[in-house]
Amino acid sequence: MDIAIVERGIALIASIIVGATASWQLKNELSTRGLDATATKVLLGLLVIGCFVVFFASINVLGNFAS
Amino acid sequence: MSVTAHPIDLHEAHDHIHPAPQGFIAKYVFSIDHKVIAMQYFVTGLLFMLVGGSFAELIRLQLWNPKGTFMEYHTYNQMFTMHGTVMVWLVLIPLVTGSLGNLIMPLQIGARDVAFPWLNMLSFWLIPVSGLILFSSFFVGAPSSGWTEYPPISIQQGPGGALWSLSIIVVGISSTLTGLNFIVTIFKMRAPGMTWTRMPLFTWATFSTAILNLFATVALSAALLALFFAQVFDVPFFDAARGGSPLLYEHMFWFYSHPAVYIFILPAFGVISEILPTFARKTIFGYKMIAFSSLAIAVLGFTVWAHHMFPSGIAPWLQIPFMVLTYLIGIPTGIKIFSWMATLWGGRIQFTTPMLYATAFIGTFSFGGITGIYLACVPVDLHEHGSYFVVGHFHYVVAGGAVAAFFAGLYYWFPKATGRLLNERLGKLGFWLFFIGLTGTFLPMHWLGLEGMPRRYASYETFAKAFPDAVFWNRFESVFSFFMVASVGLIAFNIFTAIRSGRKAGNNPWGARTLEWMISSPPPYYNFKKIPIVLDRPYDFTAPLPYLNLDEEPDPYPVPSEAVLERPRVAVPVGA
Amino acid sequence: MAVESTFGQPSPLLERAAVEARYHNVDALYEETRDMRLFGFILFLLADCVLFSSFIFAYLFLRASAPTWPPVVNGTQIGRLDVAFGALNSIVLFGSGVTMHFALESWKNLKTRAFNVWIVTTTLLGIAFLLGQAHEYTSAPAGLTWSGNAFGATYFTLTGLHGFHVFAGVCYLIVLTIQANRGVYTGSKYFGLTAGTLYWHFVDVIWVLLFVLFYLW
Repeated sequence: MDIAIVERGIALIASIIVGATASWQLKNELSTRGLDATATKVLLGLLVIGCFVVFFASINVLGNFAS
Repeated sequence: MSVTAHPIDLHEAHDHIHPAPQGFIAKYVFSIDHKVIAMQYFVTGLLFMLVGGSFAELIRLQLWNPKGTFMEYHTYNQMFTMHGTVMVWLVLIPLVTGSLGNLIMPLQIGARDVAFPWLNMLSFWLIPVSGLILFSSFFVGAPSSGWTEYPPISIQQGPGGALWSLSIIVVGISSTLTGLNFIVTIFKMRAPGMTWTRMPLFTWATFSTAILNLFATVALSAALLALFFAQVFDVPFFDAARGGSPLLYEHMFWFYSHPAVYIFILPAFGVISEILPTFARKTIFGYKMIAFSSLAIAVLGFTVWAHHMFPSGIAPWLQIPFMVLTYLIGIPTGIKIFSWMATLWGGRIQFTTPMLYATAFIGTFSFGGITGIYLACVPVDLHEHGSYFVVGHFHYVVAGGAVAAFFAGLYYWFPKATGRLLNERLGKLGFWLFFIGLTGTFLPMHWLGLEGMPRRYASYETFAKAFPDAVFWNRFESVFSFFMVASVGLIAFNIFTAIRSGRKAGNNPWGARTLEWMISSPPPYYNFKKIPIVLDRPYDFTAPLPYLNLDEEPDPYPVPSEAVLERPRVAVPVGA
Repeated sequence: MAVESTFGQPSPLLERAAVEARYHNVDALYEETRDMRLFGFILFLLADCVLFSSFIFAYLFLRASAPTWPPVVNGTQIGRLDVAFGALNSIVLFGSGVTMHFALESWKNLKTRAFNVWIVTTTLLGIAFLLGQAHEYTSAPAGLTWSGNAFGATYFTLTGLHGFHVFAGVCYLIVLTIQANRGVYTGSKYFGLTAGTLYWHFVDVIWVLLFVLFYLW
């Protein structure tokens, strides 16, 4: 139980940092052109979504709580 | 980072010719030249065809008697399994996509090779590796659950099944890499001026096939990986007792295996679209319709897989959309058939061997396609699934379709690959043997199937009691199957003698207009010394050749060479 | 701008990059092949998507046809996966995606020391993720085994396939680090690094899907 709180805490904070950094880098990349730039933007965007998912999972908003 | 101040110098990029390969190994064994790789695919495919065909003949011998004693029943099961497996994965895919596609597509788009030549070489060498793994299963008991290897029976049959799974995963990787290679090649390496709607139709066909090769084959690898885990590690994907489902395998397997049949037939359609205009001396009818119908078939091909599963217990409401979509896929196919017939109408037809195969293809493929439409209807399929009607249907489209078109392409492009013409008399004899054999072997199967003869049975004793004519017709089929063996044997003989002493072909024996006929036969390793410039589609026989910057200036209105024409060359250009 | 490799020695390839940047020379042959290689690599990633989609289809199919989920084994229902640890492991992987992006950006700006720091961090985070997965596998809920039931079959196969992709990615990153330091890549020719970054992001994004499907749903 204890270790779970620590894990959630770290995940929570890390998801904010990683998500914010990824969004900032995505914003910087928005003006670039080319196939690899497009692919990078799409994948970075999905990574930001992943950070959202982890954020909400760590505070128990997302998740299946049926038992 | 790297900013372009000057425009990119295309001259430098396109004119890159690498040095010639040195030594026997680099030239003929581990070659990265698409033409050599095509030859390797051809030889391998033909060898496997002889093996797969031998298995078929053993099947026909067993079926000579209703209670056949020629083989143990378990051996018979292995025979039809290995016949199907070898023909589908080690013959059709290497021959149709691997050899014709590799040889001709880069030449038709004016490229010096494919996009990733080393990957191309790897794709080829995975085929013999796969064959080795597959045939090693004979030592431990070859797989015996049919080329579809449904669980749970394919899990209970012994280690041969796991070797089968592994072997086909390897073939799948080969196919996937080829698909990737061809897509990039066709997108990025077309000669200047060759827009998408100026591409030859065989290239359109190869492109559509490559899409299927790349995306569908991965689904097969997934299905077979799951099967392999089930066979070796007892992972219960397909075990109902532990939450799995045998139906899951059928979904995963057929999601690839239906597009697979379009992988066989789309290049075949492309071959026909090349041959008919050349030997009717008339432009192809409906170029855009044929080109886009290839794409439509490739896309629609992904949506119809469950028509192989109508009696398997899928929900009835699910059967109807699959039935409707399967009917729909007959439409782009029908568009092609009618376009080809319109191409022939009013043309000056010359029945060389490739033209014989191509025109017969239209008949046999249409027949097989129509029986497919019969099977698409759910009530009919519930009756005919697992019967010889299905066997007759798919052999018509595969043997009478893909294989016939492959032979057409073989006769058509053999002079380009080797610089020699195949013997016309032997070719025509082989043609008649093949189609008489095909009809005699597979036509009665439709009737037998409608009367209820089940497939994959080592003994049809019970059926023969109810239907005594079955014995006669099975023997009839067995006799005629040897006609096809003779035909393939004749083709092999023709190839051997032609390579040694066939008439010289020259650049353009058929008087065709696509780019591969503008270079020497056989082409130099670099294909084109100067990359040509393309101005229009290649099929208009009343116009001069639409190319600039060719290595050798050809006759602007190409005609068949004297070696091909039965009579001396006419002074007036054809079509003028 | 000092043109030095990480270890302070002059690098002919980095010098050439400086020359190219100054005179805007473009190697047409390289650009053409890079274009093809990038397209081919994207196609490869799309095909990889099909691979994962097939197994995800299997998971959805089996889950839809199961009476209860997680399944009941020997009378007891298998416990749910540890969301807390899963979330932590996930953010380790996503963090490695961001560090890989910084690695590529550093290389583009010819900051080789920063590049090395970022790519090694990415590699270490990737290895940490794999260790985390190993921990997950060994402390899986009772009854969750590869050959036990449909849940184990799909969970271990999908996460195992993903883990194999991460492992291959880690190996690729190590190779890239070595090659970059040997001067194989220049300031304008670094397709291997681009491909590695795209692959690493792809592996990240697949994990988002797997995390949602197995841990949260």
